[in-house]
Amino acid sequence: MNCNEWEERIALHASGDLSPDEAVPVERHLSACADCRGFIEELREDLRLLRLAHAQPIAEAHFTAVRARVLERLNVTRRPWWRGRWVYGLAALAAVLAIVMATRSKQIPAGVAPDQASVAPVQAAPVQAPRATPPPATVRRPRPSRLLASSASGLRHAEPMVVKLMTNDPDVVIYWIADK
Amino acid sequence: MAAPIEGPEVLTGLLDAARSGDLAAFELLMRRHERMVLATALRLLGRIEDAQDASQEVFLRLYRNLSKVAGTQNLPGWIYRVTVNVCRDFQRRRPEVVFAADLSEFVSPGVDPQQAATDAERSRALDMSLRLLSEKERAALVLRDLEGLPTEQVAAILGTSQATVRSQIFKARIKMRGFMERYFRRRV
Repeated sequence: MNCNEWEERIALHASGDLSPDEAVPVERHLSACADCRGFIEELREDLRLLRLAHAQPIAEAHFTAVRARVLERLNVTRRPWWRGRWVYGLAALAAVLAIVMATRSKQIPAGVAPDQASVAPVQAAPVQAPRATPPPATVRRPRPSRLLASSASGLRHAEPMVVKLMTNDPDVVIYWIADK
Repeated sequence: MAAPIEGPEVLTGLLDAARSGDLAAFELLMRRHERMVLATALRLLGRIEDAQDASQEVFLRLYRNLSKVAGTQNLPGWIYRVTVNVCRDFQRRRPEVVFAADLSEFVSPGVDPQQAATDAERSRALDMSLRLLSEKERAALVLRDLEGLPTEQVAAILGTSQATVRSQIFKARIKMRGFMERYFRRRV
């Protein structure tokens, strides 16, 4: 058996990774082979220096930083929803929109549709004509502009109004339902 | 350094308290294991900033999985396993391992200057040689030779057999030695 064939066992023996039975023939070879003795001594010295280099204590500041970051993340996760920062922004936005809507509803003349982007009816049912009127024309699906006009009429008939607020967060959509 | 908290019953109490949402108890759990996690991550990743990020992820995973950590005896093994996995994820995102530490400061005091310089140079070369190792070889070498864990435990952490771990350790040591010979032959 040449020295290359001993390489694996010597590498494992360098740090005591062989069983006693496995170690005996390796020791026997080492006692007879100066090259392999040099090889295992170099390996042991490598491992000693590597351990020494990595045995140095890590500065406390690094542990403190990790702890602080973990606890901060956990505190944010555990914070109740009403203490989240987004709630305050959302509340302010809702208040502003409520004021705007209240102001606009006073300004909108009868029969004029409100802004399509901000207000839409819950049900887009057309207003039924009174019975006393002449026979109605053929029932047709109203075009969008008619629909909005009808919606405005619908608002006057105390239908609830839904305001859909889109926020920067795609997961947060606010519906504001207001009774006339 | 972290204040030592001894006794399995203390650890069991901390685990129970942390499971019920006691963050102070969880902080004590972190203090108990932070050296192990950060040092292992640093040895695997080579850079303290990455090691900190990895440690943070390990402890967040621990918090999320407190109910799954069965007993106190399993906890260190569980933490080692998660640390290795998290570091593996980091390495895949950033394959280049950077060993930026100035190892000259790691030389033992009291050694004569010439020997100290030689040791520092050798330590630097050894750390560089870790870059040559595969992910699995590096993990096996770090856990066995630097963390000092028995082969059986290393195999359990890495989810492999003892024979495979021995093979990885052997290859890692031979690669390191080969690198050292080439490095110093070129420098002479």
